[in-house]
Amino acid sequence: MSLGFDREWQLDELLDEASREKIGPALRELLRGDFALTDGAGQALWGQPSADARREPLILELEAVGYLLSSTAPAAALSAARDLLLTLLRAQIRFKMASTLHLEAVAEDFESLKREHARLSESEARYKTLSAELESRVKKQVDQLEERQQMLYEAEKLASVGQLAAGMAHEINNPLGFVRSNLSTFEKYVGKFAEMKTASGPAAESWRVLDLDFILEDSIDLLHDSAKGMERIARIVADLKAFSNVDRASEEYADLNNCLHEAVRMLETQTPAGIGFHFDLLPLPAIVCLPGHINQLFFNILRNAVLAIKDAGRPGEVRISSEADDEGIHIRIHDTGVGMSQEQIEHAFEPFYTTRPVGAGVGLGLATARNVVQAHSGRISLDSQPDVGTTVTLFFPTPP
Amino acid sequence: MPESDARHLSFKLVYYGPAQSGKTTNLFRLHDQLAPELKGELMTMETKDDRTLFFDLLPLGFRAPSGLLIKFRLFTVPGQVAHDGTRKAVLSRADGVVFVADADRAQETNNGESFQSLAANCARVGLDFEHLPMVVQFNKCDLPNAVPEAEIRERWSAAPWPLVFAVALNGQGIESTFELLLRAVYRNFGEKLELLAQHGLDENAFVAGALGKAA
Ligand SMILES: Nc1nc2c(ncn2[C@@H]2O[C@H](COP(=O)(O)OP(=O)(O)OP(=O)(O)O)[C@@H](O)[C@H]2O)c(=O)[nH]1
Ligand SMILES: [Mg+2]
Repeated sequence: MSLGFDREWQLDELLDEASREKIGPALRELLRGDFALTDGAGQALWGQPSADARREPLILELEAVGYLLSSTAPAAALSAARDLLLTLLRAQIRFKMASTLHLEAVAEDFESLKREHARLSESEARYKTLSAELESRVKKQVDQLEERQQMLYEAEKLASVGQLAAGMAHEINNPLGFVRSNLSTFEKYVGKFAEMKTASGPAAESWRVLDLDFILEDSIDLLHDSAKGMERIARIVADLKAFSNVDRASEEYADLNNCLHEAVRMLETQTPAGIGFHFDLLPLPAIVCLPGHINQLFFNILRNAVLAIKDAGRPGEVRISSEADDEGIHIRIHDTGVGMSQEQIEHAFEPFYTTRPVGAGVGLGLATARNVVQAHSGRISLDSQPDVGTTVTLFFPTPP
Repeated sequence: MPESDARHLSFKLVYYGPAQSGKTTNLFRLHDQLAPELKGELMTMETKDDRTLFFDLLPLGFRAPSGLLIKFRLFTVPGQVAHDGTRKAVLSRADGVVFVADADRAQETNNGESFQSLAANCARVGLDFEHLPMVVQFNKCDLPNAVPEAEIRERWSAAPWPLVFAVALNGQGIESTFELLLRAVYRNFGEKLELLAQHGLDENAFVAGALGKAA
């Protein structure tokens, strides 16, 4: 049996002990001395039902919930008392049902509120995550924009430097060409002069007096030296052209080992004696990058390394190593130069920060380097000890 | 499932529907029209301006050939939107439902909302709406702006429940609504309760007993 408002209420629920105490004596009086009350099953709730008593059923719905009994009351009095009691019981059952239903309804309403609350909390949580997501997406896009802008800026800067270099290379190549060809023609002409050596007469005398033997020999030497100089100029121009990469301004696959070699070649010409380069390169996968930028990056770091050794005032070595793993490419450039203090390391990547005397450098080296690395989604870090040396570690991710 | 013991079987039948659709009037008419073996008084709980605040209750009953006393307790819910908690509590443990809709065209939205709340509340109180014995009654068909029967039939053609068009004011369609519900209840519970096998009641005898008419 459920305890819902709609259960079939029993007489003892409707008439509790206290109300029985109140109506019992009154009914006994009305029914002239003898009166008993039983529940539907005949169980006495008041008095002792006697065998010869008149009996009136108490019907609230369809069946008797109890009986009113009296052996003293006349039939009319008993049925009048029954009607009175029924009126009382009806009021009681209405009250009981209504209050029980009210409790059930309140509990139901409370459940609804809880459900509603849960639903609201859930949707609030959803909105919160959504807004957090949006925030992080916006931030990512802003970061991306900034990165793109940085790349663009670097690309433009390098492109203009590259254009300048290309223009210069072109301008130098022209005179270089005719100077080289003139020099070789001139050498042939000198050969003609040499034929005068075997001539006789006053010419032979003049030859001796003017010591043309020496001049002829020295001229050939000078011409060879000049030709060598021209070769060097030609190579520098070629390197400059390759380095500036005007023809490679867009992204392409490149082997970073080649870029390292190229940068070292650029640097070697201005590297004083006593400073050596040591390569320790393992095969690398080609990555998509802006080779011009990468060259500039390596050039800046390597030049710093060379300058650091120069500052130490002793011979030294720049060790360049590279290797690849699942995540990407690792490059280390280590020098045995003066090293950096903690404070210097902290400021190293700031633009215009330099440890060199005013005029010796603008201090854009590492700042540019970091920009280039970041534009390639890479990482750059510094490790240094004063008087021992500096290691720059670079990482470029490779797509999985 | 109906409440039962060895000698009693009690079905709870609930008249559900939007405010003022005529649920209480349905019970009044049944009280007047039916003459089963046992018929209790119609208990109308507190009302305010004639609108049900808690519920109305009409008890009916008859005795099966086996001696089993079969009781029907007909309840109405309060239709006003504000009393949803009470509506749910009254609906709990129902064995069958009459949905009393208001045929007045102006009440179409209220009917729709009330019907949806019936489905939702069934789920909340653990009643299987799909298999709940139910009859849909369109009351107040006497109103000049009542939606025509054909239009309603057309709209409800896909629904599985029997439709009754009623005028509770004059009693039209009230008894047949109740009869259709009794038949649906018998078909749903008759076998499980072994009404025929144990108590000698077939569907017609069951209906006749409840309505108080010779089978
Ligand atoms: N015109 C017309 N009016 C009706 C009909 N049936 C009931 N009414 C009237 O509609 C009003 C509401 O009837 P009730 O039976 O109290 O409605 P209810 O569904 O119990 O309403 P709530 O208890 O508020 O949910 C009363 O004024 C009735 O007289 C009908 O068939 N036709
Ligand atoms: Mg009502």
